[in-house]
Amino acid sequence: MSEHILDLPLDARPDPDEFVRAAMEWHFNPETGSAYWLNRAKTLDFDPREDVKGVEGLSLFPNIINELRDVCVEDLIPRGYGAKADVVGVYESGGTTGAPKRVIILRDWWQRIMAWMNAGMDEAGFPRDVNWLVIMPSGPHMAGKMSEQHAVDRGGIRFTVDMDPRWVKKLVAAGKAEEAEAYAEHLIEQARFVLSTQDVGVIITTPPLLERITRHDDLVDLINEKVKGIVWGGAHMDVDTRHLYRTEVFPGVKLRGTYGSTMILGGSRERLGLADEDACIFDPPAPWITFHVIDPDTGRPVDYGERGQVVMNHVTRNMLLPNNLERDLAIRVEPPAGQVGDSVANVSPVARFDDEAVIEGVY
Amino acid sequence: MTEPIFIDALGPNGPYRARNRLGVPDVAGNPLLELSLVPKVYVTRAMAALRKAGTMPQEERLAALRAAGELFATGVVDGMSAADYQYTVSRMSGTPLPIVQRAVRAIARSAAGSYDSAQKARPVGAVNDWRDPKAQEGTAVWIRRGDVFAVHAAGNHPGVHSLWLEAVALGFRVAVRPSRREPLTPYRLISALRASGFGDDQIVMLPTDYAAADEILRQADLSMVYGGQEVIDKYAADTTVLPNGPGRSKILVTADSDWRDHIDMIVDSISHEGGTACVNTTAVFVEGDPAPLAEAIAARLSAIPSLPPEDDKAVLTAYSMPAARKIESYLLAKSAGARAHLGGDGVVDELPDGSAVLRPAVHELDDPFAEQANVELAFPCVWVAPWTRDAGPAVFHDTLVLTAVTKDEKLLDTLLADPTIKNLYIGDHPTYWMTPGVPHDAYLGEFLMRTKAVIRD
Repeated sequence: MSEHILDLPLDARPDPDEFVRAAMEWHFNPETGSAYWLNRAKTLDFDPREDVKGVEGLSLFPNIINELRDVCVEDLIPRGYGAKADVVGVYESGGTTGAPKRVIILRDWWQRIMAWMNAGMDEAGFPRDVNWLVIMPSGPHMAGKMSEQHAVDRGGIRFTVDMDPRWVKKLVAAGKAEEAEAYAEHLIEQARFVLSTQDVGVIITTPPLLERITRHDDLVDLINEKVKGIVWGGAHMDVDTRHLYRTEVFPGVKLRGTYGSTMILGGSRERLGLADEDACIFDPPAPWITFHVIDPDTGRPVDYGERGQVVMNHVTRNMLLPNNLERDLAIRVEPPAGQVGDSVANVSPVARFDDEAVIEGVY
Repeated sequence: MTEPIFIDALGPNGPYRARNRLGVPDVAGNPLLELSLVPKVYVTRAMAALRKAGTMPQEERLAALRAAGELFATGVVDGMSAADYQYTVSRMSGTPLPIVQRAVRAIARSAAGSYDSAQKARPVGAVNDWRDPKAQEGTAVWIRRGDVFAVHAAGNHPGVHSLWLEAVALGFRVAVRPSRREPLTPYRLISALRASGFGDDQIVMLPTDYAAADEILRQADLSMVYGGQEVIDKYAADTTVLPNGPGRSKILVTADSDWRDHIDMIVDSISHEGGTACVNTTAVFVEGDPAPLAEAIAARLSAIPSLPPEDDKAVLTAYSMPAARKIESYLLAKSAGARAHLGGDGVVDELPDGSAVLRPAVHELDDPFAEQANVELAFPCVWVAPWTRDAGPAVFHDTLVLTAVTKDEKLLDTLLADPTIKNLYIGDHPTYWMTPGVPHDAYLGEFLMRTKAVIRD
């Protein structure tokens, strides 16, 4: 008996359309679908089991992501898991815009995405059996949990710090830049206690915190002395910054990016073998997670090499989160051979040089 | 020119060409140069390098400053001649070529005289060195308030780059964030300083996007920023940041004097420097009927020709057409209720290359407290208002330069005492008058330096 197409490991390459049809069957069959989707299907103007014939059909779905702010999480578990689904945890979006959105992660998906991320670490030459320092959002945020799991899976001890990104966002929105600054420095201080007293082989953190670390020469020295690899994620890193880290700031330390989102229950891997000058390219594990880079005004794909907005799909037994337009902008890149959807490069927010709205005055 | 000019960041280890570059066009929208934008981590490291660097001995740095000023004004810097540089600046920023040429000479003069000029701010009780014999009886010594000085520069006029040379003269290490509108002047000036003896870790140029700009200020001991009212407000409570905000310069002519005797000075104050400087007159107040004065100003300003900025006789600043339209529509919205003597139907005048100049605008106000009198736009745009004894000095609050044509000494005493009026010129002196050694907005040295008591055996 071969494995069910939905249960394959993430380095398999199932036929993407067949895969999506199997997922539609699972999520919209009254026997196996979640209470949320079975109920939601009544207000769709199409029948997912009939009309969604493949990956392209996912764009028929409305973006339901905002409904995850108040749906009861038990209603998100497909009935097909039975009465005792193995729940790893409930994770929430950052909370930039109002109440957080919630997803629930089940064991089978968790194990497969972690195994795939781990294999990526091995490919990139990251050491096993070293301790990890996790300076990532903690609490309800998936990034922290994944990082901790990474450390354990790879044979290390994990050190963590408490980090609440929502509080920082609130401070910044209220114009309390100094308080936000103090909180960030508090995080760095917590990290310093670990770095200066413990063996740390890998650090995982966000690009803004990594930048903040480089303000402190003692921490830069400690990292160059002890740390073998730095994993970054949760925000953007431009090519110039990455190049400076590699050549000047942390010349002997491996640097690896991740690009993910709680709303895809995972992430993508940085493509290996690119030149130093190239932008980071992120390849998602399609067809479980797929990206499409579109022109937000027309909804049409942009050309390869052009910048657009990223649409994400998560399609697994665990959850169905189709057609979610993220705020990120990225360059559309051809996916690895035989893979459906797009890969993305140069993920970034919109750049701003000056406050252009202001015109009064001579400066 | 078909090949873009690369303007690299000038970092502590030499020039740095970023992959992230901003195209800076000329006023007609043609690509002109590519400005490297450095990421935040580059800023962090450059600022740390400035902090670690020592200060050059005074004699060496003053000699290097003088030489750099000459090289900047007349030499070939980074492969570019002085004439090419001046032409490029006028095409890029729209600043008329004659104004660029004057500014270049002023920068060279500042470079040579910056130490003497800075010394004017030293308190009479202070000396420069503990070795001064005065220290044996006890004295004040004038010392820097820090080591690293940062500038968020403006691009409205090359002349803004003459001021921070005083900080260099006083021994600060300096970081300049150029304006995106005109980064060539600081690039050339700092390149010239380096070619004349300053180490790469003494003066850096860090072009950044908005997100990394604050990092420059955060890592500096003291900073100077240029901007509008929002910038003034942002840094109002920060004693380490010196904001250069709106000028809102004004002229007052009281009833004991006839404006007809001063019309040249008034018109010049409005249009000199293309009307883009903070010392250009924004409003003229006259005790009596403002209408004849507004009419006379309009008649004079309407004779200014519309010429491309690189023309020897250009007076008006050129803008890209979208920028010109934006300013025009702002003016049209703000001037509602005012009586237009010139420019009431619009001020945009297209040039053959598709760019535009903003032709002068003259509006008459009927109330000394009309808010328009403080609307400062970067072209010859003036509001002519009646002034009354009842209105008094209150209408001149927050003015960079006030030229008062009056014989009323009591009034002059009051205007001089008002600390929100930064400069007071009495009689027939245009608001743009400046000379080395006389402060522009207080002495920069008042901000950069402090005194320390020293007594020795």
